[in-house]
Amino acid sequence: MELKEVSGGQLVLSKKYGNTGLSVVTPKSEEEIQQILCTANEEGKKISVMGRGTKRGYGGVKEEYDLVLSLANYKGIVEHTVGDMTVTARPGTTIAELQGYLKKHDQMVSIDPSWPEEATIGGVIAANESGPKRLKYGAARDLVIGLRVVYADGSVIRTGGKVVKNVAGYDMNKLFIGSMGTLGVISEITMKLRPLPKFESLVLLSIDEDRLEELKAFTVKLQGSMIEPASLELVNPALSKKLLDREEYTLLIAFEDVERAVRYQEEWVAANKPDAAILSNLSSDESREFWKGFSVIQPNALKENEPADHVQATVKISSRNIQVFDILEEVRLLKQVNKAELDAHGGLGHGVSFVILKGPEEAVTSTIASLRDFVRTKQGFTTIKHLPFELRKKIDTWHDKPSYFFLFEGIKRKVDPKNTLNHKRFIGGI
Amino acid sequence: MFFTKKKKTPRDPTIEHLADIVGKKSILYKKEDLLSYDCDGFTIHKAIPKAVVFPKDTAEVAAVVKYCSAHKMPFLARGAGTGLSGGAIPLNGEVIISLVKMKNLLSVDFENRQAVVQPGFVNLKLTNSIADKGYYYAPDPSSQYVCTIGGNVAENAGGAHCLKYGVTTNHILGLEVVLPDGEIIEISENGLPDAPGYDLLGLLTGSEGTLGIVTKITVRILKNPEGKQTVLAYFDDVENGSQAVSDIISAGIVPAALEMMDKTAIEGVEAGTYPVGHPDDIEALLLIEVDGIITGIAEQIEEIMNVCRRWNVREVKVAESEEERGRWWANRKTGFGAMGAISPDYLVQDGVIPRSKLPEVLRNIRKISEESELRIANIFHAGDGNLHPLILFDSRKPGETEKALKAGSDCLKACADVGGSITGEHGVGIEKIEEMRFIFTEEELEAQTNVRDVFNPDGLLNSGKLFPTPSRCMDVKKVM
Repeated sequence: MELKEVSGGQLVLSKKYGNTGLSVVTPKSEEEIQQILCTANEEGKKISVMGRGTKRGYGGVKEEYDLVLSLANYKGIVEHTVGDMTVTARPGTTIAELQGYLKKHDQMVSIDPSWPEEATIGGVIAANESGPKRLKYGAARDLVIGLRVVYADGSVIRTGGKVVKNVAGYDMNKLFIGSMGTLGVISEITMKLRPLPKFESLVLLSIDEDRLEELKAFTVKLQGSMIEPASLELVNPALSKKLLDREEYTLLIAFEDVERAVRYQEEWVAANKPDAAILSNLSSDESREFWKGFSVIQPNALKENEPADHVQATVKISSRNIQVFDILEEVRLLKQVNKAELDAHGGLGHGVSFVILKGPEEAVTSTIASLRDFVRTKQGFTTIKHLPFELRKKIDTWHDKPSYFFLFEGIKRKVDPKNTLNHKRFIGGI
Repeated sequence: MFFTKKKKTPRDPTIEHLADIVGKKSILYKKEDLLSYDCDGFTIHKAIPKAVVFPKDTAEVAAVVKYCSAHKMPFLARGAGTGLSGGAIPLNGEVIISLVKMKNLLSVDFENRQAVVQPGFVNLKLTNSIADKGYYYAPDPSSQYVCTIGGNVAENAGGAHCLKYGVTTNHILGLEVVLPDGEIIEISENGLPDAPGYDLLGLLTGSEGTLGIVTKITVRILKNPEGKQTVLAYFDDVENGSQAVSDIISAGIVPAALEMMDKTAIEGVEAGTYPVGHPDDIEALLLIEVDGIITGIAEQIEEIMNVCRRWNVREVKVAESEEERGRWWANRKTGFGAMGAISPDYLVQDGVIPRSKLPEVLRNIRKISEESELRIANIFHAGDGNLHPLILFDSRKPGETEKALKAGSDCLKACADVGGSITGEHGVGIEKIEEMRFIFTEEELEAQTNVRDVFNPDGLLNSGKLFPTPSRCMDVKKVM
């Protein structure tokens, strides 16, 4: 299949990541989405759903669907009630567009996923993406309060509502968050908002790789103290070198509060840090710039710039809080015996880590296998959230099926009985 | 077979069998013992269960469920019975599986900030058990001194401090669940984030005991904030109070709690067990709490006081001691019960509205009060728009219970009409079943019952709750 242009010369479906289609449709209204789904469902056609395409490498063992439904052009703010601190947006709105709009009102959606300029809110919700500030603000499941979802048969279901607290009926929002588009097409998302922080800063603590234990002891002390960081992200030496030109473990301690409280916490860190750690403070502007750079370190299916004989992959790992140290240490050990480039960071306090691999295919796949074995010994979860299609055919990108997998199958069967939407994109071939 | 002359009541084989599972001392089946299980915190409907069993562990729960399932016998789970919407009422003569004997704190992991509890463990006990280390469990429903965490999961319970920290669902990290066929599953056993697959933790939390029975819960525990300060503000006008709420939020402050009471509610709490000495002629009061890093709190408190002054507050003050703060909160948290001091009966409602609609909805509630000739007190979590209209009535007067139910339903309609919800934290149960139609279409209700049928295909677990049966369509058709 040839590369297909989707919109304004920006979106291209490369065959490399699979999840492509014989044709691409870009609906501009919910009615159009309904019609497309209804017709496809009746005719037994299979649809791949996408936003702008940053996550084309995330799951899926089908190279081609009958149709790709791109929501890139179904975008914009539907409703923003400043006083209620809620916003309703269409799925194709990018994170940057959303935040840019809300910033004028000193508000924000409290989520910091990768590639904000390109990732759409629909995609972020469907893939349950999160960033380092998950520590303070939680994940997509903590901020979505309502959805409109087009089911495969074309019907529209509203879940949740427009109020910030709501227990009427089942919390159906949760079913669609992280469901990888296998249950329905999200056509509207209502979220609760947060005020923009009055002041923010970022403290960087770097330490030599043999002295990681000291940083760990400091982290335990910090978490046992009254300090309330917005992120507590540990970065491995390789990634730290790229971001900060310091080839050492670096802890990213972000603060968001009124200025006095931020300063007080910065002082606490300075007074309690390990002696051997190098400390630097980034101001509000510098920290925002840093996070901008940080948000584009993961591979993105829209950007293709590695050498032909290299592959890129991202592994997401869920672990307990403090196990993040073990995971990053394991990454260091794997790097010593492997040709793959390994960048890694992990969120202390929330337990989500990412390992970014680059290198020859064999090195990448064997490292993924070792990493996976290691995480299993820690009872953690691994998901390979970016991998070229050819490799996805060989490696199951999802974590092992849980004992209650039959419930997932049951839900899928009830909601999308003909497997019209994102067939085989999700865990266990759902 | 010989019959003895003094024939004993023939023992029901079901009772025999259930007693074999849980032990003879852990089952109630005599009429007089079952009476106290004919309702929960929603006392308007009553029904007698077939039996009440008190399993001591997950295996016993599973065995009871398997037995019920195999014999097509309806069953439901019950915690402390404080639910306000009737979720634990045995409408179909259920076998009640009471989880009060499974009341242990199984483990606490401070380093990873999680605790594992059994479902019968009382909410406040968790905070009390970890307070010495400086930790607490955030969701704090007003009944927290008696309600169980299992029940909190079923109802997705909220509380006054949910504005900043979220409701139960935001604090549940893992669940062990007995499915309606008796199978035991563990979701996110180690409390890890983002368990692979659909988010069953999120789906089960708040499913009101209709998808499974939770037998073990991993919760997030939080470090106590460094400091907290509490403000009390008295207003001569409800609208001024509502405007102050909006402005506090708009100022970019995220209070830990932001509560409001109106004049009738204040009359109730002052006549109750924990009077504070609120003036009897004010129209509304706000109770506002800010927590976090101590050096940052003062300026937020100052800003809150300024907002109140801007909206013509009569008096605004900061709690001067932990003791004073405690008294203010005890007065607020026992607010529902205090209504008993000024009315023989009361009905609690639980609507949610977009914050900006507060003055409009309060006006409508006043209208409902006038039309029904029943007093309505309002206690609410103003910060997140969660209203608790308390409808005061006297069930001894013929017709007044029905009038109160109607007024309650009208209050929920008033919330739904401005884009709100019919329940923010108390659940639908049987109380608000018909009101579900205020906010969901038939198709949307079916989408939910479809999910229920995946877990609970025979409808034996807590049936008749949450969702209206499509029968009303038939009635409509008949009329047409």
